[in-house]
Amino acid sequence: MEEYTREPCPWRIVDDCGGAFTMGLIGGGVFQSIKGFRNAPSGINKRLIGSVTAIKQRSPIIAGNFAVWGGMFSTIDCALIHMRKKEDPWNSIISGAATGGILAARNGLPAMAGSALIGGVLLALIEGVGILFTRLSAEQFQPQLPPMEDPQSLGEQQPPGGYAFQ
Amino acid sequence: MSSLNDSNDVYSSNYGSTSGIAANFRPFSSPYLNYDPGYIPQNQPEFIFLDGGSKQRGRFELAFGQIGGSCMIGATFGGASGFYNGLKATTLAGQTGKLRRTQLLNHIMKKGSATANTFGSVAVIYSAFGVFLSWARGTDDEINTVVAATATGCLYKSTAGLRRCGLGGAVGFGASVLYALWNSRDKLSSLRQFNPA
Repeated sequence: MEEYTREPCPWRIVDDCGGAFTMGLIGGGVFQSIKGFRNAPSGINKRLIGSVTAIKQRSPIIAGNFAVWGGMFSTIDCALIHMRKKEDPWNSIISGAATGGILAARNGLPAMAGSALIGGVLLALIEGVGILFTRLSAEQFQPQLPPMEDPQSLGEQQPPGGYAFQ
Repeated sequence: MSSLNDSNDVYSSNYGSTSGIAANFRPFSSPYLNYDPGYIPQNQPEFIFLDGGSKQRGRFELAFGQIGGSCMIGATFGGASGFYNGLKATTLAGQTGKLRRTQLLNHIMKKGSATANTFGSVAVIYSAFGVFLSWARGTDDEINTVVAATATGCLYKSTAGLRRCGLGGAVGFGASVLYALWNSRDKLSSLRQFNPA
């Protein structure tokens, strides 16, 4: 990830769409390969064939669903950034909920509400974890006060050993 | 501000009229700037490259954009073709009103998502090959493009038999060679001019 930075807004949609598609294709490929392997008739050769067939048939569809989610999410995110003139976790949470709702639009109002809730909670969790990590990693950059010693404990005795300036 | 650009201010006295630009233009000068700002080129764009960094964006950086772009292009083309097919099919079947609308939507969604998935998968495989090649070879040039595209065509059609696999590879090879030629047309034309014999 060393050469990857986020694009400015309109192009971010394409970028996020591609990232989500890749994630879906790879994740779906792994998932479907296991599923196809298990569901195929016995015999290692048949199982491998079943695995490949499952990957070929199902993982592009999963990837497409991911890409639609990512593209829609990013579109709403950019629209919110434009309208609210700021970028904060609420943008992501709102656009997650809106994406979940819009993509379930053909399944009726209750499904939309449930999907929106799931989307919002999911994005809130992701944003929360992000903020948590930022907090945790920011802790080690806090300015440290040099350790103060109580001058009274020094007394009149000489410091033992070490450097001594004559 | 005018006091800084006055002709008799102390700091710009040692630049005089021997500076590289016309004498009537006196650049902003200050005691903290130890050279004549006239030497900074002003009417051409400045590009700042990191030392040792590559002069173009890496494959990985472009990969997601390419994948997303091909996905969206596939969705657009597939949606348009699905709309056309749906119009034809519904007219043939004599469907009207709500039924026709739903059927049209089904056609668009089905064809669009199928095409988008195909395009996106090809782009993912191509990007994976390209990123791997540029990582393995340490450079990013036309050879990477051609090899990655050929391998993509082969892999995408690898389960459809050896002949189809070769055909896919040939398609990838042809397309990538055309692209590479188009992309390096400046280099090619300069090569021709340099060697008139």
